[in-house]
Amino acid sequence: MTAPRPAPTAGDGPAIEARELSRRFGAFLAVDRVSFEVERGEIFGYLGANGAGKSTTIRMLTGLLAPTSGTGRVAGFDVRTEPEAVKASIGYMSQKFSLYLDLPVRENLVFFGGAYGLWGKALARRADEVLALADLRDAGDVTTGDLPGGVRQRLALACAILQRPRIVFLDEPTAGVDPVARRTFWRIIRELAREGTTVFVTTHYLDEAEYCRRIGLMVDGRLVALDTPAALKATWVPERLLVARGRDLARAGERLRGLPGVQHVVRFGAALHVRVAPGGVSEEAVAAALRSAGASDVAVEGAEPSLEDVFLAVVGANGRGAEAAS
Amino acid sequence: MIRRLRRSLVRVGAMASKETTHVLRDPRMLYLALVMPVVMLFLFGYGISIDLDRIPLGVADQDRTEASRALVHTLTESGELTVAADTTPEGADRLFRRGDAAAVLVVPQQYGERLARRERVALQLLVDGSDVTSANQVLSKVDALVRAETRRLAGASVAQAQVPLTVKVWTRYNPAGRSAIFMVPGLAAFIIALTAVLLTTLTVAGEWERGSMEQLFASPVGRLEIVLGKLIPYLVLGLLELLLVVAFGASVFDVPVRGAPVLVLLVGFFFVVGMLGQGLLVSVITKNQLVATQAGLLSALLPSLLLSGMVFPIENMPVPLQLLSRVIPARYMVHALREILLKGNGLAVLWPDLVAVIAFAAAVIALSTLRFQRRLA
Repeated sequence: MTAPRPAPTAGDGPAIEARELSRRFGAFLAVDRVSFEVERGEIFGYLGANGAGKSTTIRMLTGLLAPTSGTGRVAGFDVRTEPEAVKASIGYMSQKFSLYLDLPVRENLVFFGGAYGLWGKALARRADEVLALADLRDAGDVTTGDLPGGVRQRLALACAILQRPRIVFLDEPTAGVDPVARRTFWRIIRELAREGTTVFVTTHYLDEAEYCRRIGLMVDGRLVALDTPAALKATWVPERLLVARGRDLARAGERLRGLPGVQHVVRFGAALHVRVAPGGVSEEAVAAALRSAGASDVAVEGAEPSLEDVFLAVVGANGRGAEAAS
Repeated sequence: MIRRLRRSLVRVGAMASKETTHVLRDPRMLYLALVMPVVMLFLFGYGISIDLDRIPLGVADQDRTEASRALVHTLTESGELTVAADTTPEGADRLFRRGDAAAVLVVPQQYGERLARRERVALQLLVDGSDVTSANQVLSKVDALVRAETRRLAGASVAQAQVPLTVKVWTRYNPAGRSAIFMVPGLAAFIIALTAVLLTTLTVAGEWERGSMEQLFASPVGRLEIVLGKLIPYLVLGLLELLLVVAFGASVFDVPVRGAPVLVLLVGFFFVVGMLGQGLLVSVITKNQLVATQAGLLSALLPSLLLSGMVFPIENMPVPLQLLSRVIPARYMVHALREILLKGNGLAVLWPDLVAVIAFAAAVIALSTLRFQRRLA
């Protein structure tokens, strides 16, 4: 498990490993015994409300903040005892990542490249590569302060991956960015992951979390759920959501309320949304019931719950002091 | 080892060239470093001239003889004192209150007669003491002139009566007693102390506020590399500033450059490093541009102005302040500049100053590097 020094990301352990990681600020326990592993090449989403402990976890894993207790290993290095080795093998985009707004785009890249020991031709070539990757080919000479927010975030990401890190930590990279720019940003993140980079990303946009292979959910400093989006939905929102379409559904809908397992029937535009408890009636049974009540051209299919449903369920459960799922 | 050193140099170079770009793209920085010092030199150089010329003197001549008129003539001949008003001893207060005279000379009745009889005559000088600097200058000038007149009278009437002791004053290095020559080296040190501290406080605290410091900490750039990368461009700027101020002092205020200019650069180098380091230390501790600027200004301005010997002689200070002045680098810079520029002294005299500025520079750089925690909390 322990990678031998000095080769970064040597061995075949997980890219990131947290064990009982905790951080206390005075009386406030910001991160409470968090444990997880992130595999190589995985996009790992870290979700939670503001103040849930996401940034504190990232700062411990990037060697910026010493853990109060517990251990963390990143790229095989201990974040407490070998923070410099950790820093040399990761890319990091802090929540407040700030480029130098008075400098041109390229100068920012040249500076951060130099900070990682790149120089000369190699640096120039790499700068061109990341500019292309971040869709900034023609922006090299623009003063950074003149760029819109979403483009700045792409430049910040470009700066964070200059030295070809095997692992990147992105702390709320798309906060305050418009939906189109967010989509472009995530396209780049997925491209990175395809090339084998491990991506650890925090966000509070739940639609973005769908792009992650696995998601950790933080509530009040604790990691209360951790799994793939599909598994989280299955665990936390076990009810099935059925959507029925057809003609003359409105009156027929009343008939469904008596069926076993049906919890909820709502009209949603021209369709009916039917929530069914696990083990309740099947799609076919619902369709048959609707037809016998006078509806025609009936089609019923299952719909997935959203991560928003999961998030609300998790927060609700943990607000009542329930135990973590994973 | 070599590889590590080279990577480290690359990182320092990246920091330094980024800072240089900041400076070149920010006219305010250039203004702060190159224009403000010259403006300040002019303002201070002309403003802090403590020479008094044409001191207004009231004369209450109660004798009104040829002898008394001769005395007044001797006093005012050189133009340092001018007769502002003909008055009486009782009228002196009125003159002082209106600010029409800095002093009133009372020549007693029978001045001429008693001089002719070789009797002792006491002149009276009433001085407005509310302005200490002017009062002192009036006192010393009148005193010197009256002595000269006494000698003249003695020499004229009794050729053989020798005055046993005379002092012949021969002022070296600043024979005209011009305060600009004395002030400009002090000003140079003071202005550089001020701007150097400001230059670094602004830039380091700026990184904290912008949040880029966290980004730097997450990279492999080391503490000393950040410190050096920040210092190098501003050191070059500070030395340019020093040369500029000395050159202006020499050309505009006729400050002589008797010693080797390279010595100015040598002592100046470590002095500038020390002051930049002081700015660094302040901003490492405060982490906020506004607070850092205030603290930096105060920590540079007050000691460099009051305790450096630039205006107030250190020997006249109470002992605790004298001791305190020993840790003020401007003190050594002021002294060294005067020694080099005015007296043409070399390292034989300057070495204690050089050692002091090196020690200060080493201490603040070490302190700020230590305080510079590359962790956030």
